[in-house]
Amino acid sequence: MFKEIFNGLIKDKFAKIALWVLFIIYFALAFANFIAPYSKDFANRSLAYAPPSKIFTIDEKGKLSRPYTYNYKRSFDETNFSIYRLDRSQKYYLKFFARGEDGKFHLVTVDKGGQLFLLGTDINGRDVFSRILFGGRISMTIGFLALFVLFPIGMIYGGVSGYFGGKVDAVMMRIAEGIMSIPSFYLLIILASILPAGMTSIQRFMLIVIILAFIGWAGFARVVRGMVLSIKNQEFVQAAKSIGASDFRIITKHILPQTTSFIIVAITLSIPSYILSESGLSFLGLGIQQPDASWGNMLKEAQVFSNIIYRPWLLTPGFLIFIAVLSFNLIGDTIRDILDPKSKIR
Amino acid sequence: MKNSGYVVLVIILIFLLGKACIRRDIPETQIQKQEVQQEKLTLDFYPANRKNVTINGVDYIQTDLPAGKFGGTMINSTIGEGPKTFNPFNSKDATSSTFADIMYDGLVTIDPVSGQYIPKLAKSFEISGNDYIVHLRHGVKWSDGKPITADDVYFTWKNIILDGYGNTSTRDSISVSGKLPTVQKLDDYTVKFTTPEPFAPFLASLSTPVAPKHIFEPAVKKGKEFFDTFMSTNINPKDLVTSGPFRMVEYVPAQRAVYKRNPDYYMINSKGEKLPYLDKIIYLIVGDANNEVLKFEGGELDVIGVKGSDVPRFKERQTHGDFSMINLGPDTGTMYLSMNLNDRKDENGKPYVDPIKGKWFRDLNFRKAVDLVIDRENMVYNIANGFAKPLFTPESLNSIFLNEELKPYPRDVEKAKEFLRASGFTWDKKGRLRDKDGNRVEFDLLTNAGNSEREAIGVMVKQDLEDLGMKVNFKPIEFNSLVNKLLSTYEWDMVVMGLTGSPLEPNGGKNVWLSNGALHMYNQRKPAEAGVNLLPWEKELDYLFEKGATALSFEDRKKYYDRYQEIIYNEKPMIYLYSPVRISAIRNKFKNVYPTSLGGIIHNIEEIYIDTGGGNGHN
Amino acid sequence: MDIIKYILKRILQTIPLLIIVSVVSFALIRLSPVDPLAELRLNPSISQETLDRERERLGLDKNIAVQYGLWAKSFIKGDLGITSNGESVAQKLKERIPNTLLLTTIVIFLTWLVGVPLGIIAAVKWKSPLDRILTVLTSIGMAIPSFFFAVLLLIFAVKTGWFPIGGLTSSNFLEMNLGQKILDITKHLILPVTVLFTISLAGLQRQMRGNLLDVLDSDYVKFARAKGISEFKVVFKHALRNAVNPMITLLGFEFAGLLSGAALTEYVFQYPGLGRLILEAVMKSDINLVMASLMMGAIMLILGNLIADLLLIFTDPRIRTGGIK
Repeated sequence: MFKEIFNGLIKDKFAKIALWVLFIIYFALAFANFIAPYSKDFANRSLAYAPPSKIFTIDEKGKLSRPYTYNYKRSFDETNFSIYRLDRSQKYYLKFFARGEDGKFHLVTVDKGGQLFLLGTDINGRDVFSRILFGGRISMTIGFLALFVLFPIGMIYGGVSGYFGGKVDAVMMRIAEGIMSIPSFYLLIILASILPAGMTSIQRFMLIVIILAFIGWAGFARVVRGMVLSIKNQEFVQAAKSIGASDFRIITKHILPQTTSFIIVAITLSIPSYILSESGLSFLGLGIQQPDASWGNMLKEAQVFSNIIYRPWLLTPGFLIFIAVLSFNLIGDTIRDILDPKSKIR
Repeated sequence: MKNSGYVVLVIILIFLLGKACIRRDIPETQIQKQEVQQEKLTLDFYPANRKNVTINGVDYIQTDLPAGKFGGTMINSTIGEGPKTFNPFNSKDATSSTFADIMYDGLVTIDPVSGQYIPKLAKSFEISGNDYIVHLRHGVKWSDGKPITADDVYFTWKNIILDGYGNTSTRDSISVSGKLPTVQKLDDYTVKFTTPEPFAPFLASLSTPVAPKHIFEPAVKKGKEFFDTFMSTNINPKDLVTSGPFRMVEYVPAQRAVYKRNPDYYMINSKGEKLPYLDKIIYLIVGDANNEVLKFEGGELDVIGVKGSDVPRFKERQTHGDFSMINLGPDTGTMYLSMNLNDRKDENGKPYVDPIKGKWFRDLNFRKAVDLVIDRENMVYNIANGFAKPLFTPESLNSIFLNEELKPYPRDVEKAKEFLRASGFTWDKKGRLRDKDGNRVEFDLLTNAGNSEREAIGVMVKQDLEDLGMKVNFKPIEFNSLVNKLLSTYEWDMVVMGLTGSPLEPNGGKNVWLSNGALHMYNQRKPAEAGVNLLPWEKELDYLFEKGATALSFEDRKKYYDRYQEIIYNEKPMIYLYSPVRISAIRNKFKNVYPTSLGGIIHNIEEIYIDTGGGNGHN
Repeated sequence: MDIIKYILKRILQTIPLLIIVSVVSFALIRLSPVDPLAELRLNPSISQETLDRERERLGLDKNIAVQYGLWAKSFIKGDLGITSNGESVAQKLKERIPNTLLLTTIVIFLTWLVGVPLGIIAAVKWKSPLDRILTVLTSIGMAIPSFFFAVLLLIFAVKTGWFPIGGLTSSNFLEMNLGQKILDITKHLILPVTVLFTISLAGLQRQMRGNLLDVLDSDYVKFARAKGISEFKVVFKHALRNAVNPMITLLGFEFAGLLSGAALTEYVFQYPGLGRLILEAVMKSDINLVMASLMMGAIMLILGNLIADLLLIFTDPRIRTGGIK
């Protein structure tokens, strides 16, 4: 089946591009420490909101040169607002595979004393490009982790409910429907505001994963239950029953495997919504917190009008969310068409 | 054929990549210097003279500002969810108070330049010892036509304020060691207040609105619970009986409130025409500051408070825009860093603060080191775009009680380290700070999440303290949870917070500085713990605040309040960071605009008029 | 008679659902360490006495089960209580619900108007490039974070001056005549509707496509084709009807989904709707307001489902003849 999926994805132009895009994104995130010019904790506060560094390959005499850059210098003019100007007194050459300011090897860095802000800096003078890489690690994995938590729960819940039917089913489904009837975004906010303060960032991250899972499992369980209902009367299940297999065994070994293709489709199609949920939560200040980065909380700065006009580089995380989510959607659509063309999963 | 598309795509990509990589280094030609327009508005220049005149038995206030044109609308805004109540005695939030101030006049008001209290609804007042005799204006009417008399004033004070109806903050602020002032009606237009002891802040409290007795009396009779819901925002605005220059005519929740001119107001211009000039004032209820800026930019707003970070944008627009900006000077708001000095235990005998950490926080050298390492200057530059001033005292920079002796000092990491060494702190091989028992110095720094400004400050403070080898876990948490920690559970180490104060009355800060104050967060005591293990300087603060409120002359009061600022400056229970500068913008079509640092930009709303032709205003 | 019985049965079934919703939400909100009085407590001019009174009024001094009991009792009586600011919750909801209904109805109407035909086209032209392109286009709409899209549109509004900047009515609304009023509201609605439309279109289009594909694959359509009926007739006369039916059941969920999806959009556009109200209430832990709005959301969802089911009974001959399960 996986071969089938892969071949199908390669054949589809859009899906192929999407696969490449995601591959590049995840590759960059995996090697963020190496690719990012700066470490996670780097900040140069005298360079808040510095624009992206200009990299020159042809020098002022018109000759081809090794790529170099100038530093920015901040000045406050008479009306008191900060202006960045290039300090042309010294060139800083770009170095590849060299030690950076933290003494570790980086893909690209500059001569000592130079600045290399590929996407400018934020309010605390932190390199936006590096933060995007580190923040992406959170934004792009949180959905996956939530799915890993919620899928087993949803499958077992739905499986048990559908298999036993009757009163068990009625009670279990009422509970699931109850949770589904609370508009999910508000449930998300309520849950996020319960998070005890004073957690480490890893704890916070894990709890947000659990919250996302808590919201998602009910809808999933309901669909699984529907499928189980139709599968459980098929001959092979009856056969398994007649040879005395235990209920648990029948559910896990005979019924649930039948739902695999549905699950694969559901996974790829629901990842985007978790990425978007995380960004929405962080946008409201309830998700990943400073000083940790996530694409959602980096976008918070994009709310400010002046930032959009004067510091458009702060919008990059928004476009990255867009690209990543779109890629997941395209791949999900293709997989759905391959495995389950009539699927009703949204 | 099939591949040609790819080839084209690859070529385009290579081209784009090449274009991105190959950039020629051409030095910019002289950057065009932007013509910076002279600010049209001048601060603290308010040439109006006001005097009482009596025409046909009505006591008017006459102002001598240039007479203007009648009509037109001013669109203003408030940030947040809008007013919670239209009952001026119930308002607990800024928006409700703003709305109440437009609709209800108080007996006195603040002179926008000098900060002294001057008569408003009162024609005049006399102070002799503890007695305040207030003479009311004749012929002034409520919006339903009934006259405003001493009965209304007496009722307001006796039955609403002193009996503790609604928000009791006025009552609390005038109680001197548990005793309240008394009120007496001398005749239909004269009222006498008597304070139990000399009490300087009393005059300020006379600026509270006066209520129409015939409307409020039935509500008061129904009890406090009813009064709390009386005149909620569900009321039809036309049923409001008010005394201010404008009357509310429409209220659309979460969108706006519309006020129409009071045609019977007791203020007249030099020609004897009844003010105000403006026909309408509209307050848009705007959810957040970003949206407010957009609305101003889009022309939907006439007046706005500008944040430092938005100033460049406004400057740029101002040069060819239709508005002017004015720097109103330091704001009353302060941003501070505080440490938990609490060394008491909860009911279960568990200390609120980890005793190891508590020892550091209660060590003055430690607090001084933290203070010295804070980089206030860059906070001002980065967060407020330079539109703020580093702050070292609890009174804001525009306070008339500011102690000018307390000088600012620069960041000094070496000196900070010396202070730490003096208390036995050492650094291990990796540069980590350890106390004299060898414990690693590590604690949490909290602030409220969702406030980008404070989050950015938190990140900076964390970095600053890490220069001293401390380990700081910066954790922004939800605002309401944070307050709960500060004021109820006391489970916190260090916090970045802000408070607003009054530039005129330090006594308003007593909740923070009195040792049993409700906002004494750095060493909060449960009511049962009142007076328990007071630090010597806490004791002195208690004394100073009591003295400061009961001293009468400004000079006497200043002495006490100077000393209080000195204590905070030396003992550093709260480390002040910066105080933002208030900048406002207003459309040029409004004339008679005389901004002052105390009154803001539209303090003389009655005198402001619209002249689109440009020309004959003071501009 | 059957129908009335069925409705009654369905309504009875919803009661446990409502109880679950209320218990879960109440417990969750009360578990949070958020202090509903925090704002007041930080206001230096509010005294301890005032605070104690507020605490008592809101019942914050009692234990959580008692609080729930009190809340449930008054809820059944139809009293939704007061917000933490002392305003009537019922009044607040009354102010906001019409605005939210207006927004969501327009969005649902538009998505159906556009999404259903697009779904049909995609299904009929299944596996053709057109199908693929439609999927990709709708995907693009689904991929933009709603708040980000909303912020960009607001900037667009400021730059061009074509649209008002947030809100629902202009400040001189009161003086307009009916025509102007309608125009004014329309102008305010365009941007938020655009955002919500864009993000919800994809789901509907896919749903419709899947349903129609399902039906087109069924025996009776194959039979109709075999009879030589033209493909056009097959699709529009036979298949379509059966493909739309299951969509009706979705209406209820779609409404709840929009209520939730609209929160951030309403927040950015300062739209005076329920979404923004709930968002603010949740952030402040204003329990009566949150509970009332969540219950309102759940009731609307349940009602929506009920209405959808009833519609189905009337439109779907199979259910009518097959009896009600």
